[in-house]
Amino acid sequence: MKTLFKGLLLILSLSITTMVQAMDWLKETPSLVELVESGKLPPIDKRIPDDVQVARLTPGQVPGEHGGELRLLMGKQKDIRQIVIYGYARLVGYTPELNLEADILKSVDVIENRIFTLHLRKGHKWSDGHPFTSEDFRYYWEDIANNPELSKGGPSKLLITDGELPRVEYPDKYTVRYSWSNPNPFFLPALAGARPLYIYKPAHYLRQFHARYQSKEKLARMIEEFGRRNWMGVHVNHDRPYKATNPDLPTLQPWVNTTYPPSERFIFKRNPYYHRVDQKGRQLPYIDSIAINIASNKLVPAKTGANESDLQARYLRMDNYTFLKLASKRNNFDVRLWQTAKGAHIALYPNLNTNDKVYRELMQDVRFRRALSLAIHRREINQVVYFGLVQESNNAVLEECPLYKPDYQTAWIEYDQEKAGELLDELGLKERDSRGVRLLSDGRPLEILIQTAGESTEQTDVLELIHDSWLKAGIKLYSIPSTREVFRNRVFSGDAMMSIWSGIENAIPTAENSPHELAPTSKYQYQWPKWGSYYESSGQSGEAPDMPAVQKLIALNDQWVRASTHEQRESIWHQILEIHRDQMFTIGIVNHVPHPVVVNNHLHNVPETGFYDITPGAYFGIYKPDTFWFDEARR
Amino acid sequence: MLGYILRRILTMIPTLLVISMLVFVIIQLPPGDYLESHIAELQSQGESVDEKKIQFLREQYGLDKPLLHQYWYWLTGMLQGDFGYSFEYDLPVTEVVGDRLFLTIIISIATILFTWIVAFPIGIYSATHQYSWGDYGLSTLGFLGLATPNFLLALVMLYFANVYFGTSIGGLMDPQYIDAPWSMDKMVSILEHLWIPVIVIGTAGTAGMIRRLRANLLDELQKQYVVTGHAKGLPPGKLLVKYPLRVALNFFVADIGNLLPTVISGAEIVAVVMSLPTTGPILLSSLQSQDMYLAGSFLMFLAVLTVFGVLVSDIALALLDPRVRLGESASK
Repeated sequence: MKTLFKGLLLILSLSITTMVQAMDWLKETPSLVELVESGKLPPIDKRIPDDVQVARLTPGQVPGEHGGELRLLMGKQKDIRQIVIYGYARLVGYTPELNLEADILKSVDVIENRIFTLHLRKGHKWSDGHPFTSEDFRYYWEDIANNPELSKGGPSKLLITDGELPRVEYPDKYTVRYSWSNPNPFFLPALAGARPLYIYKPAHYLRQFHARYQSKEKLARMIEEFGRRNWMGVHVNHDRPYKATNPDLPTLQPWVNTTYPPSERFIFKRNPYYHRVDQKGRQLPYIDSIAINIASNKLVPAKTGANESDLQARYLRMDNYTFLKLASKRNNFDVRLWQTAKGAHIALYPNLNTNDKVYRELMQDVRFRRALSLAIHRREINQVVYFGLVQESNNAVLEECPLYKPDYQTAWIEYDQEKAGELLDELGLKERDSRGVRLLSDGRPLEILIQTAGESTEQTDVLELIHDSWLKAGIKLYSIPSTREVFRNRVFSGDAMMSIWSGIENAIPTAENSPHELAPTSKYQYQWPKWGSYYESSGQSGEAPDMPAVQKLIALNDQWVRASTHEQRESIWHQILEIHRDQMFTIGIVNHVPHPVVVNNHLHNVPETGFYDITPGAYFGIYKPDTFWFDEARR
Repeated sequence: MLGYILRRILTMIPTLLVISMLVFVIIQLPPGDYLESHIAELQSQGESVDEKKIQFLREQYGLDKPLLHQYWYWLTGMLQGDFGYSFEYDLPVTEVVGDRLFLTIIISIATILFTWIVAFPIGIYSATHQYSWGDYGLSTLGFLGLATPNFLLALVMLYFANVYFGTSIGGLMDPQYIDAPWSMDKMVSILEHLWIPVIVIGTAGTAGMIRRLRANLLDELQKQYVVTGHAKGLPPGKLLVKYPLRVALNFFVADIGNLLPTVISGAEIVAVVMSLPTTGPILLSSLQSQDMYLAGSFLMFLAVLTVFGVLVSDIALALLDPRVRLGESASK
């Protein structure tokens, strides 16, 4: 037992080798020289951490030069949070190969996935020059997460395992330890998320808004000044690292917002205290500033075509590709096609919790779901809607995923009316009405209403094609467009029989990523909203799943959380994926739909191809936009 | 007259109260609230949502309170000059709208001037030269203007302005001038961009005004006093401007009431298409995201302007046209 325990004692060091060389290899950033010489800013060796991180360039990337302004287009003011996503400075972050590595942190020691010791970089500073220490972690844990007024329900559920809160210790200024008695596999991925869990906050700045540190009179004045109901409102409003709406909030990101909203143009300037340098001793980011122009999102493709953006993927769609390609000749930019990491670009979600009893029984019968899938002519959809450029597939993990097996994607996707007909006959749906539509056991015709969020004509086009092939199998399809909120409420309540949406968000997971997306864990899973809700609320709402296969998924998901070795997790993942392959809980149509990415010809180090997705890629984030640089023509 | 004005102002109070209720109820009619549409938006982009945080915001925004309470809070706030808080922008409503109001007024006034300058001569010409080639030609042009959808015209003009003049697409100035202090260059940049929205928004209005002016003027020109004037040898110019044109202008004065709110709201659809930094897109997006205090306060503001505009045009009409004035005192 003891040896086994020792065997489980796995120490995972995520640190990157940091070179501590003589400081004279560092070069001052040209745009900051003036500030340094006038004494407004300390010189570079005083700004960067002692254990500075040397950026590791991915193959194809080369060291660059400082300078330039990156122009971006966004659809709304709220979109400026994209810079926090693109910047992607996280305590730990994903590499392009999707491994976790320490980033803001110098290193992390992990014991059994339950004791995490975070080592900060000595001399690391916030963007205002104040030291970044374990005090910032203490402030978050004690004064925010465990403050009954600021966090009524307590800390985020990602920090809770089996109902247990972590023990948080601060051995010294540069060390923080989170420990649980059971494994918490969600902890590091949450820190590395595109929208990360912030377990550190700039204490020196936020204290002035906190009731524990600020006098009542001053707080009362601030509540008045900012028009809030209480001090919590003032605190929360100033503490939005993800939204980047407060230019005064110190940050650790490569670029810092300098524009107070509301505005139509936001300027993000380089963070002079950023913790990364390149091999030649230049402090990152290379690009001095980012200018975001807000334009209506329908105009973004046109404006991009008119060369008003240097790096654009947001609000571009596959159907803009030809227009952009044409404009690229006139306007000196390059249009690249990146991959998307969704399991399915479009998938049908039979609602296993639908209210109608007859349909519910059908939806819960695997033969019915398989028949639905077999009666879809995916090749035709690919040719007609996507010019044959995408891949016909189930809603499953992609080839790039280490867990991939071909049959996860290809089971039950061939177009086979005969087999579909046999399956439907087996279900007792033999009678047909004058239109050729099969009749249900209670005599009603088999008419499936598919709810759409009414946002894309693409979905409607696909449904139109499915309608034709389903009708041959004796199933009548109606699509019901509505708005997103109505759509969701219909699914949640069980009024929806079936819905159409995109597939798995992260279809390139490793065994270390949680499989919760594939088990009923959230009401936003449209194939089993009530079961998801049941799990999410710990039985307070929703219904307990009664299908054995689904119960198995929940059990596997729980096992994954408790698993302590990579092999165990991998085997659990495969079991889950096999259940999905056989059960067809969702019916994927196509995936591998490319996403156009427009890159100015003067902008370098942007990969030719990559994954454009928020999870796990943080869009451009994992490709480290702080290493993107402009050549002379644009500086 | 004074009593009349006073009475009119007093009846405005219940009118506005009813409008405020309608506005509030209609904004609340779609299912869910701001936070729900916010969650839906985040999730559709694959971003995670912390339910606890949402609960906290719901309390902070007062969305957990009953509807009547929210309405009362909003109404009493407005009376004290507090228009509430925009959830979407995380700012007080006045700050969100404030900056944009100025540019909206510039565009609207330019558009109104454009409409008048083009419509008046053409309207007069086609009335005095009825059924001539000029009248037909200009009427055809006018109808074309009336029939072309604004947003389509906007897109076409944006494209050509960009390809041939190199004007940046959309917006009201080149990006580098946004938020910059006012300068000569900024003014020039605004003028470069201004003409497209002005023409686009103005065309439909111009065409409408030409038609109305022509019809009204034609009515007058048929009248006997004009014939008499001609017979007595009044110079044609004076005969036209001094009498029939003045009478034909009644519709124009009555229109001022509608003009005031349009000056502020600034042609929403065109503004959205051309992504103008005016108030129109804010109004639209606030209605979409159920940012209720922003949308509500904005609509209330427009309502107040409409009600006042109608009063102003009534008074102006009475001052301008003795028939209106005398008609009122005669009925007493």
